[in-house]
Amino acid sequence: MKKINFGIIQFPGSNCEQDCFHVISNVIKQNCRYIWHDSKSLRGIDCVIVPGGFSYGDYLRTGAIAAQSKISYEIKEFAKRGGTVIGICNGFQILTELKLLPGVLLRNKSLNFVCKDTYIKIENSSTRFTQLYNQDAVIKIPIAHAEGNYYLTKKELSTIRKRNQIIFSYCDEFGISSETANPNGSILNIAGLSNEEGNVLGLMPHPERVSEKILGSTDGINLFKSIVNFLN
Amino acid sequence: MKNFKVTIEIMPLESVLDPQGEAIELIVKNKNEYKANNFRVGKKIQFSISSNSKSECEKQVNKLCKEFLVNEIIEHYEISIRNEKD
Repeated sequence: MKKINFGIIQFPGSNCEQDCFHVISNVIKQNCRYIWHDSKSLRGIDCVIVPGGFSYGDYLRTGAIAAQSKISYEIKEFAKRGGTVIGICNGFQILTELKLLPGVLLRNKSLNFVCKDTYIKIENSSTRFTQLYNQDAVIKIPIAHAEGNYYLTKKELSTIRKRNQIIFSYCDEFGISSETANPNGSILNIAGLSNEEGNVLGLMPHPERVSEKILGSTDGINLFKSIVNFLN
Repeated sequence: MKNFKVTIEIMPLESVLDPQGEAIELIVKNKNEYKANNFRVGKKIQFSISSNSKSECEKQVNKLCKEFLVNEIIEHYEISIRNEKD
């Protein structure tokens, strides 16, 4: 298997990029480098990771300022060419502001910053991001956000359902979707979704935080391994 | 070129849940002295801009709103423009 080249975007205020870097470099042993937001090139990159954090202090709307940066234009072009892009937490918010993913992440219904483990169900295991998970498998994975309340108009919602774009949804430990298992008010308990073409994924939970035994769980590692598998 | 002072009022769409507005409404209602409801919380942006005319200015500001300042999936906006000297 060849080594995959991951590029992790850094904005002022990103704070999960080192966790991602560690998982890619030291756990799944792939090539990885940071890409500063001011850069204009993604040359040599096979997969772009837009990490979590508070890019530009979440000013205006979460992800709105980051979506206007020079590298964001490159990410958009990269995605249009079919490149693999994954946005985690704030990265998901940035990808919706870039219109690479439909919908928007609103303030949590409770108005609180929610930081806890959640259970999510693999709604679609036939994507490049989830192919090493079993369909309908339930994994435990932490969230940490104030704006994770996914919203989409009813019309668009029915479109993404038809196209199997919903990849992860919040549930209880038995895989049952309910309001009590929904940590932020997301419509249809959506925790993560892809674009129509399937090469761009956004999710609120943090797979990079559960990718090593020493951290108590490896439930997130198959997401990164699936990408490597797909790109080989 | 003329200088204009622009104010943009951005509000969440009626169809979008506004938990901030709801939280404020709860407090106001608990005071038992005001018959107030339908609280919504938005934001206001002000800036100066140079443009050839008021209509061109309006066109530019609308473009800026659509491409950056406003997310029309969840928000709507109103623009008011006045001459900077006024």
